[in-house]
Amino acid sequence: MSAEQHGLRTSELSVRYGGLVANDRVELRVEPGEIVGLIGPNGAGKTTFVDAVTGFTTAEGEVFLGGQRIDGLPPHQRRRRGLSRTWQAGELFGNLTVAQNIEVAVAHGGFGAIVRDLFGRRRASLGETVTAALRTVGLDGIEDTVTRDLSLGQQKLVGVARALAGNGQVVLLDEPAAGLDSQESLEFAERVRGIARGGPGVLLIDHDMSLVLGVCDRIYVMEFGKVIFTGTPAQARTDSRVIAAYLGVPMESAHA
Amino acid sequence: MDTYLQFIVLGLGLGAVYIGLTTGLVLVYRATGIINFAQGAMAMWGAYVFAQLRIDGTLVLPIGRITFGAKPVILVAALIGVLMSVLLGIVAHYLVFRPVRHAPVLAQVVVSVALMLTLQALVVIRFGPNSIVVDSLVPAGTVTLFGVEVSSRELIMTAVMIALAALVWAYLRFTRAGVATRAASENERGAMLMGFAPDRLAGVAMVLASAVGTVGVLLGSSLTGLNPANYTLLVVPALAVLLVARMESIGVVVAASLVLGAFQSVVNLLVSKPWWPQWAQSGVDQVIPFVVVMVILFLFGRRLPSRGTLQTVRLPDVHVPRIRPVPALVLVAAAVAVLALTQDTYRFGVTYSIILMLVALSYVIVTGYLGQISLAQTSFAGAAGFTLSKVTTNWDMPFPLAILFCSLVAALLGMIVALPAFRIRGAQLAIVTIAAALAIERFVFNNYALTPPSGNPIANPSLFGLNVGVREGSDLSRMAFSLTVLVVAVLVVLAFVRLASGTTGRMFLAVRANERAAASVGIDVRTAKVIGFGLSAFVAGMAGCLIGYSAGQLSAESFTVFVGLQILAVAYLGGITSFGGAVIAGIIGPLGIIYVVLHEVFDMGDYYALISGIALIATAILNPVGIAGETRRQIAWLRGKLRARPADPPPVPDRKVLSDVS
Repeated sequence: MSAEQHGLRTSELSVRYGGLVANDRVELRVEPGEIVGLIGPNGAGKTTFVDAVTGFTTAEGEVFLGGQRIDGLPPHQRRRRGLSRTWQAGELFGNLTVAQNIEVAVAHGGFGAIVRDLFGRRRASLGETVTAALRTVGLDGIEDTVTRDLSLGQQKLVGVARALAGNGQVVLLDEPAAGLDSQESLEFAERVRGIARGGPGVLLIDHDMSLVLGVCDRIYVMEFGKVIFTGTPAQARTDSRVIAAYLGVPMESAHA
Repeated sequence: MDTYLQFIVLGLGLGAVYIGLTTGLVLVYRATGIINFAQGAMAMWGAYVFAQLRIDGTLVLPIGRITFGAKPVILVAALIGVLMSVLLGIVAHYLVFRPVRHAPVLAQVVVSVALMLTLQALVVIRFGPNSIVVDSLVPAGTVTLFGVEVSSRELIMTAVMIALAALVWAYLRFTRAGVATRAASENERGAMLMGFAPDRLAGVAMVLASAVGTVGVLLGSSLTGLNPANYTLLVVPALAVLLVARMESIGVVVAASLVLGAFQSVVNLLVSKPWWPQWAQSGVDQVIPFVVVMVILFLFGRRLPSRGTLQTVRLPDVHVPRIRPVPALVLVAAAVAVLALTQDTYRFGVTYSIILMLVALSYVIVTGYLGQISLAQTSFAGAAGFTLSKVTTNWDMPFPLAILFCSLVAALLGMIVALPAFRIRGAQLAIVTIAAALAIERFVFNNYALTPPSGNPIANPSLFGLNVGVREGSDLSRMAFSLTVLVVAVLVVLAFVRLASGTTGRMFLAVRANERAAASVGIDVRTAKVIGFGLSAFVAGMAGCLIGYSAGQLSAESFTVFVGLQILAVAYLGGITSFGGAVIAGIIGPLGIIYVVLHEVFDMGDYYALISGIALIATAILNPVGIAGETRRQIAWLRGKLRARPADPPPVPDRKVLSDVS
């Protein structure tokens, strides 16, 4: 039981869209400080899984964070408990600056915030939090740029920074490196390691095999909504089911 | 039982009008994705033309008139009336709706609301503000139904409108153009692939919509008479029917229209019964559409179709305000100087402008920052004013406390109106809020049991024994009152700036930009909406109290749906996303200083509504950032010119164009 006290764990997590089973009894674990990869062909249900875990789609089954059940909670509650995510399309607040994008993730606002806004002193520490979050993705110095003006690659990195800001226990990164070139991808891998060293567990979803196999401690492979493989990257490279799932192409050549 | 059947049949007459208007709404929505709030006003124009032709044989055009020697035969007159509405529909299509087909939802709502205000103002100018009697195309008579003698006119009207609706249904169902229109509502490219220009289809839909709506109003107005307000606002129950029909089904439109009309009629019978509570007699028939809308939304809210072309509610950017002492002091000093230099009517106009600025600010909060379209802001203001008359006369609540208390009441109402915003957004939220506003107006403000016609006096405000009331002796606009208004306004604006530049403002903007992403960073979107509506209603409530004090009593006319729409119009004109826009809105708003000048100097009060309506249409199409935003852009451009080199640009790391769509 003690192993369940930290990180993220799903049990029998299923998502149905009409007759289609998009996620079929998925069991997955992410420990603090661990980098876990989730790969699979297009349409395997990876993003659906992220949506289900974070509360953006209705799912059956159980989700635990830090040993507590969080399925049934609305998305913002899950985030406030330390489960954050990024989006494939970035989904930044285009009309806000980079700094503001991250600030909203730290100070959410609410009835109490009204009184603080009206009568309290402005929090100076927010700026440091913002810069720290941006530094982890290598983007400090662009705090005052309106995010709509950033390139898509930069937007996704700001999305990662936004997910990291605050009290992240587990971060789900949905294709954060799509669109980066190989050099940027290498840099990004280093950043993901840095994130995990800082404490939170990372679930990395990406198509870039060299990134996923190179940086992850463990890997889950999904196909048709089911987890068909769990193991280390080394095991994944030689597993026949994984190879078959990936268009019959051996992992070594996909890696190359 | 007999009486009930008679009233049901009478209600079918109203139902027939709903069929006409809602069929038109469905056509336009399916062809363009726009919800046409001006549907009633457009149809009303044709009915007025018809009525005037039958009165004195004059064909009244928007500009100029043609006098026929004799009154035309009734059918010819009707035909001309429908034709005029159709022409109006074509003009509206090309000049008003086509330019905003791909614009943000807010611009579309604003444009059709502006068209509605414009047409209503035009009707007042061209036909006069009073009710007129309309000749009936259908002879009066009776027929025996289930052994009960009922009016045959309503039955014939219903049959005519069902037949017209059936023709529209057949057009959509069986003609290639109709099928393409339906396809366009799913996917515009699909219609183009069928060889149709979506634009042309939209024009055809607008023509059909005008025609069928006008026939309905022509028939209906012979029963009720015509005045500039009644058929304009009949669009609200029609919008309720539109939601019931899920924006598409003509069959449901017919059924729901008739049921709603009959039900409203029966309710009007029931409220006259002795057992019906007296306080709930007025306006219940207007509460019904609102209740229908709410029930429908809570049952089907998530499944209401939205169009295939994904429009985002892109609003002009917000420039986070800061408190800059020097400009702020200059502005306040200017206001004081203007107040000191004016008196009577003009000082009152300036004072009213300051109050209107607060109403406009309430739109800035809920629409500019939170991104939600609310057409109920004057209802919040009115609710506060209404409470004010009760607490100052019954409880002797003193001045500053009273407006705080009443604004809190308004805030509470605002939070309740926020509940539908959990489920819906965009134009559908506009429908709900206008239905709510109309229900509140009819059920509360115009309810003599709650607001006696003898008046709702509001005690003069005083502060530490100092009379800060608006009138004393022959002075109709005292400086003490104006300064009090100014102080209240300054405090509200300071609070607004603190909130807008703080966590709350950021939360609103995040929700406005992307609700899904907002939830994913930990923002409670529902709470944000409740807070936004609450704050905005609070500010509107402040304004409502000041309006109440300025009149010395509560006047329902200050808080009608139309006043609300007019203030929305000027708020949008000024710039819906900024405090500066609210200031401009206050200056040009109804009963504000510009209005007073127009009225006093040029005697053009009637044209005010027309001018503001047309200006709003132009703004929504050409300049969505409003006057304030445009001024800001000009200033920024000028500064850029004056400065040799702009200050260090932010060091953006080399921008690679990443072609990523996965």
